[in-house]
Amino acid sequence: MRQRRSRRPVWVGLAAMAAFLAVFVIPFWFIFLQAMKDRRGAGRLNFAWPESWHFWGNLVEVVQTRDYLLLLAFFNSILITLGAVTLLVIFASMVGFVLSRRRTRLNGVVMALVLAGLMIPPAVVPTIWVLQGLNLFKTLHGMILIQVAYGLSFSILLYRAFIAGIPRELDEAAIIDGARPWQVFLRVILPLLKPVTVTNIVVQSIGIFNDFTNPLYYLPGRENVTVQLTLFNFQSQFSSQYNLLFMNILLITIPPLIVFIFFNRQIVAGMTAGAIKG
Amino acid sequence: MQMTGLTLAGVTKSFGAVQVIKGVDLQVPVGAFCVFVGPSGCGKSTLLRMISGLDEVTAGTITIGGQDVTWAEPSARGIAMVFQSYALYPHMTVAQNIGFGLSLARLPKDQIAAKVAHAAALLQMSALLDRKPKQLSGGQRQRVAIGRAIVRDPKVFLFDEPLSNLDASLRAQMRLELTDLHKRIGATMIYVTHDQVEAMTMADQIVVLNAGRIEQVGTPMELYRAPATAFVAGFIGSPRMNLLGGPAATGLGCATYGIRPEHVALSTDEGRWPGVVRHLERLGPDALVYLLADGVGEIVARVEGETPLAPGDRVHASPLAGREHRFDDGGRRMMSIHPA
Repeated sequence: MRQRRSRRPVWVGLAAMAAFLAVFVIPFWFIFLQAMKDRRGAGRLNFAWPESWHFWGNLVEVVQTRDYLLLLAFFNSILITLGAVTLLVIFASMVGFVLSRRRTRLNGVVMALVLAGLMIPPAVVPTIWVLQGLNLFKTLHGMILIQVAYGLSFSILLYRAFIAGIPRELDEAAIIDGARPWQVFLRVILPLLKPVTVTNIVVQSIGIFNDFTNPLYYLPGRENVTVQLTLFNFQSQFSSQYNLLFMNILLITIPPLIVFIFFNRQIVAGMTAGAIKG
Repeated sequence: MQMTGLTLAGVTKSFGAVQVIKGVDLQVPVGAFCVFVGPSGCGKSTLLRMISGLDEVTAGTITIGGQDVTWAEPSARGIAMVFQSYALYPHMTVAQNIGFGLSLARLPKDQIAAKVAHAAALLQMSALLDRKPKQLSGGQRQRVAIGRAIVRDPKVFLFDEPLSNLDASLRAQMRLELTDLHKRIGATMIYVTHDQVEAMTMADQIVVLNAGRIEQVGTPMELYRAPATAFVAGFIGSPRMNLLGGPAATGLGCATYGIRPEHVALSTDEGRWPGVVRHLERLGPDALVYLLADGVGEIVARVEGETPLAPGDRVHASPLAGREHRFDDGGRRMMSIHPA
């Protein structure tokens, strides 16, 4: 049996590792290399070893560019991410709870709307029109609401599936113990949602932090800049400073990386779970 | 009139067009251990859920301790329920599980702790209060669920097949513990099971349900001695009563004729039903003889364990006098013809 097991994976494992290398490591290595070079060296965009090391110089220059724009961008992005993810977790868990527990005809309608939210692409111009009418255009809280709206469907589906795996008898036991519906949710269900909440936090926060297009459309203005938009600082039609661009990329990759490293194990648990053993 | 712990009057339940409970009237005396028993799908769990308030009645009234609670909230009915899966809150310790209802009622912390400690002592699990449900065995989880019910100090305890997830030896032990608990607390208990052994051993009052109706209410021995219907006759008692239909029964003056295996005597030379031993189950103290009786069909007899019989032997089976049961073509017991 041991022989049979050891014969198969040698080349399969090698192929998997090669694929992993090509998809994940090589691009990252490329970014890292360019970020260390001077402007001329980076401009060649190759895998050559840096002739001289400019890590600290590039770093300082990127941070200082356009009056410390990157720091403002970090502040804005983190604020949007925190706000949107907090609202997403609160709303999606509540909607998921009601969808999976209450039996009414409205459920079908709500589920259709949730799926529509996943399937129908967002229309940019009408959205801007609505935002302007609500005086939310070009504001961070307007951007937060947009990110919530875009992410809500996916989060609701995750929560709903997870809550469906929690035995209904738990709710009933709590009801007999005298719990009101909101107490059933807050004191019995919500504490059990930790795995799927971690999944939601990681997936949504990385998505929102890395979002490029939506801030580009809905959040114009120098004071509203988000991290992904700072990449424009070093790239223009006629001249590009690739060493600084890649240093910038390197810097803004760090927060999602930290989130991912911290929650890595729980994410898988939350994706595959759905059962609470009683 | 004796005070009743629980009264059901004309209770019905419909899901859409399907009526699952078809008018149930029942009175359970205060302090009784009442067991609802019946095959799966007979409506016993639905009935229990209606008493608990988790499901609404379609028609009829429910009275607990003299109070009409038909439309009351579950928590306001003076009931506590133990679920089949125990339904312990996985993220809380044993103490928090037991005290959850009290903390919802905003009792002071010291009072909660005192009540939890009392319940834990009663169930001999004071040492387990800091554990999580995951760290407990099946029997211990069962006890936590019962503890959660006890601290509510209910007028009526509701049990929904609480022993079905336990293995056989633990089940026998928990049967005893539950009966002891009932004696100590003295509250009315409603217990749902599909296991007629649990019903026979634990109940003061058995309610046999079939297809949404009550077939018979009585003490275990009343049901054993004089089942009111052929269904009860077949359901109560282990091994099952022999129920004969067709010409064999008509010849004896009824539509269905019943005789329990323990009330069948075997003889080698004469008897009512001659036949061949088809199969033999030796259980130790006694043995079950499966007899293929000529022109009648299979009859099971329970005989002394060492009885020297083998498959293929010809024997004669006869009913013991006064132990026969006769039912008319509606399945109801015929009282007048052959008084027991």
